[in-house]
Amino acid sequence: MKDFYLIYKNLTRKKMRLFLTTFAIFIAFLIFGAIMSLRSALNAGVEMSADNRLVVVHKTSFTNPLPYAYVNKVKAIEGVKDVTHANWFGGYYKEPRNQVVSFAVDPQSYMTVYPELVVEPEQLSRWYKNQTGILVGERIAIANNWKVGDRIPLSSNIFSQKTGGQTWEFEIDGIFKGNEEKIDTSYVLIHYKYFNETQSWGGDSIGWLILTTLDASLNEQVAKVIDSEFANSNNETDTSTEQAFNKAFIDQIGNIGLIIFGVVFMAFFTILIVVGNTMVLAIRERTNEIAVLKTLGFASSRIFKMVLVESCLLAFLGGLLGIGGAFIIIKGASEQMARFLPNLVLGSDVLLQALAYMLVLGLITGIAPAISALRLNIVTAFSRG
Amino acid sequence: MSTLMSQSAAVIKMNIQSLPRRLWMSLAMVFASAVVVAILLAFLAMAKGFDATMKSAGSEDIAFFMRTGSAAELNSSASREQVNLIENAPGIARDEQGPMVSPELYVIVDGVKKSTQNEANIPLRGLDQRGVAMRKGFTLVAGRMFNPGTDELIVGAGILREFDGFELGQEIRFGKYKWKVVGVFSTGGNVFESELWADAKVIQNLYNRGSSYQSIRARMTSPDSLPLIAEYLKNEPRLTHEVQAESSYFAEQGKSLGYMAMFGWVISSIMALGALAGALNTMYTSVSDRAMEIATLRAIGFSHFSAFIGTMAEAMTLAAIGSIVGSLAAFIFFDGLSASTLGGSFTQVVFSFQLSPDLFIKGISMALIIGFISGFFPAWRAARVPVIVAFQTAR
Repeated sequence: MKDFYLIYKNLTRKKMRLFLTTFAIFIAFLIFGAIMSLRSALNAGVEMSADNRLVVVHKTSFTNPLPYAYVNKVKAIEGVKDVTHANWFGGYYKEPRNQVVSFAVDPQSYMTVYPELVVEPEQLSRWYKNQTGILVGERIAIANNWKVGDRIPLSSNIFSQKTGGQTWEFEIDGIFKGNEEKIDTSYVLIHYKYFNETQSWGGDSIGWLILTTLDASLNEQVAKVIDSEFANSNNETDTSTEQAFNKAFIDQIGNIGLIIFGVVFMAFFTILIVVGNTMVLAIRERTNEIAVLKTLGFASSRIFKMVLVESCLLAFLGGLLGIGGAFIIIKGASEQMARFLPNLVLGSDVLLQALAYMLVLGLITGIAPAISALRLNIVTAFSRG
Repeated sequence: MSTLMSQSAAVIKMNIQSLPRRLWMSLAMVFASAVVVAILLAFLAMAKGFDATMKSAGSEDIAFFMRTGSAAELNSSASREQVNLIENAPGIARDEQGPMVSPELYVIVDGVKKSTQNEANIPLRGLDQRGVAMRKGFTLVAGRMFNPGTDELIVGAGILREFDGFELGQEIRFGKYKWKVVGVFSTGGNVFESELWADAKVIQNLYNRGSSYQSIRARMTSPDSLPLIAEYLKNEPRLTHEVQAESSYFAEQGKSLGYMAMFGWVISSIMALGALAGALNTMYTSVSDRAMEIATLRAIGFSHFSAFIGTMAEAMTLAAIGSIVGSLAAFIFFDGLSASTLGGSFTQVVFSFQLSPDLFIKGISMALIIGFISGFFPAWRAARVPVIVAFQTAR
């Protein structure tokens, strides 16, 4: 207890320095928390993908359509459990800049392949029956202030209606959630059949296929069979696991992502180095007092511990405040940015990493002065001072 | 006045000369302000490079037609009939071959990125000689032009730089079809260099596009013809297109990385607060380190002002050194750095980071602000502490 009092007194002897040091650590961890959450939000699609889900796209590019007949051909392949398909609708709400990620899908099979999407049963059965119905994700519903029962216009920046115009009207039949917080619910689903019948391009084509295999170990084999089935046809396919597909998509953002995270991470470490330097010097200044403590009979190991505890306390004081600040910022931003960046949460993995860095900061800045305190010879210390 | 000057000069000299005594603390401050500057410059250079790549692509006297609401070339469409209607629009320049109109196709193909070995989208543009002639600064860097009606294509210099397998003479497979690279072109670093170009008719054929196109470019007799053309589009019910100057289309696209500059300002401002805390620590340490010195000078008649200015000068010097180090680091690591990201049409845009004098000035001013604030308060303390107290605390 007495030790803690001493540590407390040491920490607070120069209020200004304590404040400045804590503030710098606070800033470092604020940036760390915010950036790491941003990064894990970007990668959430990769993390959350099911391990037995495969995506089949056109070999030339996933923006090229595939013939509808492929659905049944793929269904017949051994090892395939369920198959569904989707079309990119290119939707926007009222204004082109207000983009709404929207897929035209076959409702029943889509919900079978994506069991992580949770909808109230009565809402779901209403949507199944209602061709002009739309199922909206929770996040995008909140962002646009949509409620079940609303009628909303959705325009497409790709397709036109047969009757002219590019705007379709839909009724919101239900809102889907994810069974985990990180699952993306920032998109909407419409009926493929209705879309295909009303759009002017015609052509019974689908954007891509999603299927589940009976077991993840069959993935590779099934993918090979599918691609060889359509080899040398007009529409060759490229089948990959959902995880690989999502990863490739994120990588399209390109090395600027890498550069940004590299730069910011460097910033984080720089602040830690600068702060660490200050902390080391702050303890070095006290050589004389440590000599006094030793003269009074404090054991070397006790002083060693006190110095370490002091630096760790300081690291955690600033660090926890910083992570707390990041948490509040992320909380606020996730509502603002739901449309561009779903899954923005400060997860426990980020928190654990931050705690580890705080501990490392505390130990590294404490260890050098602690060791020199341990070894300090009283006579030389006094003669130096 | 002159004593004030000479006093200040003497104190500044003493402060600077005593810096090695506080080497680590001083280095920490230099380091912190250097990193703030480098980070700010990295983000600004990224946004600037992307913006320049887009903006320099557009011409003022080229009218650019897309289907209403399509937002990007990829989503637009135009039938042969609509192209003919646009050819008859007023204000469009003509030469001996008729109206200078270039209907173009825009399809996406996959390429393998050198940096990650992953597949990424690249645009394959279908056009003809007329379209090629409409691009500012177009030059063939190597090889020759594609022959109309053949499966030959030419690649942009940016694609060659960032993607594998597009070297001159290579055969490339997209799905079922093979293409031959017969030329490499440059358009002076702008976004068109991130594209592959081939004959429009061949692409129509291979990609089942019939006789339809996507976007249309037309050379105007002058930039003032734009309202005339817009009026014509409005009154022609068979046309579902919007027109804008090509330059304004690309200016809009260039803004899409504008958030990077904003993000850079936010991050580096927050960083600057952290650095400021570090710098204040440094300067307070400096003042207490020199407490004896300051007290002595004051006792022998040096003014408050000279004590103040001495500390200020020290802080500004450290910050300025930091800003130079940071700018140099940013210049070495980021200037001209080739990067690529997703652009408006869902395809890769290859661009280079670009640092310019105005960006350096922004970076250096930021560091000097840090220096000023971190110097001011400790300098105030140095100047205000009564001589007696200074001697006591200095021990």
